[in-house]
Amino acid sequence: MNRWLAIAISIVVFSSCSVKSAKYQQYYAQGQVLYEKNCSNCHQKNGKGLGLVYPPLAASDYFEKNFNVSLCLMKYGKQAEIIVNGKNFNKPMPGVPSLTELEIAEIATYINNSWGSQNGIVEISQVTSALNECGIK
Amino acid sequence: MKKYTKEMKSHLINWSMVNSQWSMNRSLIILMSCLCLMSCVPKKERLPVFGQREFNGKDTVYHTIAPFQFVDQDSALINNAIFKDKIYVADFFFTSCRTICPIMKTQMLRVYEATQEMPDVLLLSHSIDPEYDTVALLHDFANRLGVESKRWHFVTGVKDSIFKIAQTSYFATAMEDKSEPDGRIHSGAFLLIDKQGRIRGKYDGTKEEDVNRLIADIKKLRNE
Repeated sequence: MNRWLAIAISIVVFSSCSVKSAKYQQYYAQGQVLYEKNCSNCHQKNGKGLGLVYPPLAASDYFEKNFNVSLCLMKYGKQAEIIVNGKNFNKPMPGVPSLTELEIAEIATYINNSWGSQNGIVEISQVTSALNECGIK
Repeated sequence: MKKYTKEMKSHLINWSMVNSQWSMNRSLIILMSCLCLMSCVPKKERLPVFGQREFNGKDTVYHTIAPFQFVDQDSALINNAIFKDKIYVADFFFTSCRTICPIMKTQMLRVYEATQEMPDVLLLSHSIDPEYDTVALLHDFANRLGVESKRWHFVTGVKDSIFKIAQTSYFATAMEDKSEPDGRIHSGAFLLIDKQGRIRGKYDGTKEEDVNRLIADIKKLRNE
């Protein structure tokens, strides 16, 4: 009886995982394409940034602590000085106004799960509320 | 006994044959190495000189970089005299550019690091947005890259002079273009200039392999 239950649970868990994983993989793959098109020139393919000119996204405390703000600045850019991992960066970042909420979710999913981080998928709903919150939308 | 001697003899003959074969092989090897060495010589030869050349009746006159005068990140006057008896790598960029310049700067930083121990090699980056890229801004930019101003000059100046020297001296594209997202277009080229102010190489500053070739060519040029 217990054994059947265990098998049943694993089937449920496994199938839900694989459904999630297909969506995740699609977001991640598309996110990588968008990242390399819009972000990696400055932030570099390895996410390490460049000196004190372009801040890192890999192992970046700013991205983790200001996640919603980070979602906003992909679209709207950022002018003010920011502190990333204790270092000050002051170059204005141009936004990419044409990015859709889906595309922002995909880029964020890619950043969230690259260069040693594994923080899972970023949903569109999260992007919608972040964009509402930053008050520009 | 007699038979044995005969065998000995044939043995000796065999050995001498082997010996002669060896000496033949040896001469072949020497000949081959000579050929190899000869065929290698043109490759070791000098880097090409770019641009039109003219004959003034006595000597061949090569295209050289025209006189210029700009200001660098330390407000120092930067002209041809700074590069007298120096090899240098030149490029055109602007700090607010988000397309190819960041990649170029990543690659130029590699050149900077590779030439750290070469006092006769300098770098010269021209801003093609000199109104925005002021001395103070270039100073901050260079500091943020963590580079020394006496080895890597970031210069600003009169916009038209920069565009003109790009196009006519360095054969590099640099101009304003309102249809571009950043309002200007420019090539991602790195130009290698020798101690006489002649262009000796042109490389795509956005491609790692091309920049590897540049670093190798700098070493060749220093040995000329």
